[in-house]
Amino acid sequence: MARYYELKELESRSPRLFGIPTGTKLDEMFFKIEVEDGKYIKKPLGGLPYLSVMNITGVPDTGKSLLAEQFAVTQANAGYRILFVTVENPANFLYTALKQKSEAIGANFSRVEENVVVIDASESEELRENPKALLDTMAYAIREKKVTSVIIDSITGLYEHKEMMARQIVRQFFNFLKKWRQTGIFVSQKRAAQASESAEAAGGLAVAHIVDGTIVLDKKLIESRWEVSLYGLPIGSVLRTIRIDGCRITGHDSKTWVFEITEFGTIEIIAPLSEYIKGQSEKRKA
Amino acid sequence: MEIIAKPVGGNIDKMAESVFIECINLLGGLRKLVEYRNLTWLPSLAESAYVIVMKNEALKTYREIAKELGITEQTARNIATADEEKVKEYIEGRLEEKPNEHIAGGIAKLAFRKLKDVGRLGEDEIVIRHEEIEALGINWAVQVLSKVKGLDFPIEKEPLKERLGGIVLNAKKIEEILDELEYPIKSPAELLHRIKMKLNNNYKE
Repeated sequence: MARYYELKELESRSPRLFGIPTGTKLDEMFFKIEVEDGKYIKKPLGGLPYLSVMNITGVPDTGKSLLAEQFAVTQANAGYRILFVTVENPANFLYTALKQKSEAIGANFSRVEENVVVIDASESEELRENPKALLDTMAYAIREKKVTSVIIDSITGLYEHKEMMARQIVRQFFNFLKKWRQTGIFVSQKRAAQASESAEAAGGLAVAHIVDGTIVLDKKLIESRWEVSLYGLPIGSVLRTIRIDGCRITGHDSKTWVFEITEFGTIEIIAPLSEYIKGQSEKRKA
Repeated sequence: MEIIAKPVGGNIDKMAESVFIECINLLGGLRKLVEYRNLTWLPSLAESAYVIVMKNEALKTYREIAKELGITEQTARNIATADEEKVKEYIEGRLEEKPNEHIAGGIAKLAFRKLKDVGRLGEDEIVIRHEEIEALGINWAVQVLSKVKGLDFPIEKEPLKERLGGIVLNAKKIEEILDELEYPIKSPAELLHRIKMKLNNNYKE
């Protein structure tokens, strides 16, 4: 029989609102409102909302996996256990990526090694095709290794060639992370045919409507003189942007920000797009 | 960085079988069940093994377990919540009266816990024949493993010397090899590895 709750009964079960750091400026882009001296003050959350399940989406080669890996290294270096479910990239390649990122951001790689647990679904058909088997394996890892955050890169890989099942599969994994009280990241892929700045992921409306929030990564190739003039970048270069497209748990900056992928493969968020354009224009005048 | 490359906790049948067999071992073996005319316990033990594995490994609800096994939810709950310590006291004869617990459930929980503690639940085991052991040249490893069965790991030098005394490896007494190892040794696998490294080093010398 379905149970109902009076709102007051939920007080003891509601999670605290604080941030899980990503190691990027995204940590300042989520905020909460607090009352100080009778005034409402906006305070940065300091990371992704605790126990949220966020979707990182974008067309190919926009830095989604890099952002997920940077989050993993930041958390592992801080002493928290991360479960990384790799669906696209074999585990040995992921190891190299995490090692490089650790060196780039000055993290202690021994600590990172100790605190990251990987489920390699890229080389196991059963783990990719059988959600139950993957969920059982994730439960084992979370329970035995005392994991606090989970990354699935990519959730799209779990329903490729069966997109009719996309909503069901995403819902299963979303509910699973909520049940196990994990902060989660789903990396999802967008088809190029969809509007690249939108949050619609492969599988249509599957991921964006189920998760707690979406972070959209995009890239723009500078192809015309007008774009050169606007963005202050040479022809043929790439302008990368990142935007929080909704979060149901906490307030957030909704501006589009410009970011770079450094030569070390890390994400550096620079400035809001409007300020970036203004800054480039002033540089040229000077 | 630990990498899990295949499903873990997925083969419920294999785990339930392991728990069932361990239940029989905890009761003194099949012969004891025959001698004490307690073979009627076997179906209940099998059912309890499944309930415990499905609850703890497959994370099923009582309703799901009841539906899959054809039992009531209350029975599933009784099995999963049996007080295994009280049941242990009862089967060891330390309780005069039978406790108000699901006895088979308690035994299954004890068996499950024991297998989990030693990492034997859901592990793949292989059978290897004597001629294969000879061909591989690993008689010494089989001998060591059979002698350390039942010992608690991590382990120090003295209990190992006591148990393994008398074995000779490559014309060297095992006590001398054990004297050269570092302690504590975490597991039987680590013990074999360290002995093997010592034997290899001695061979090079």
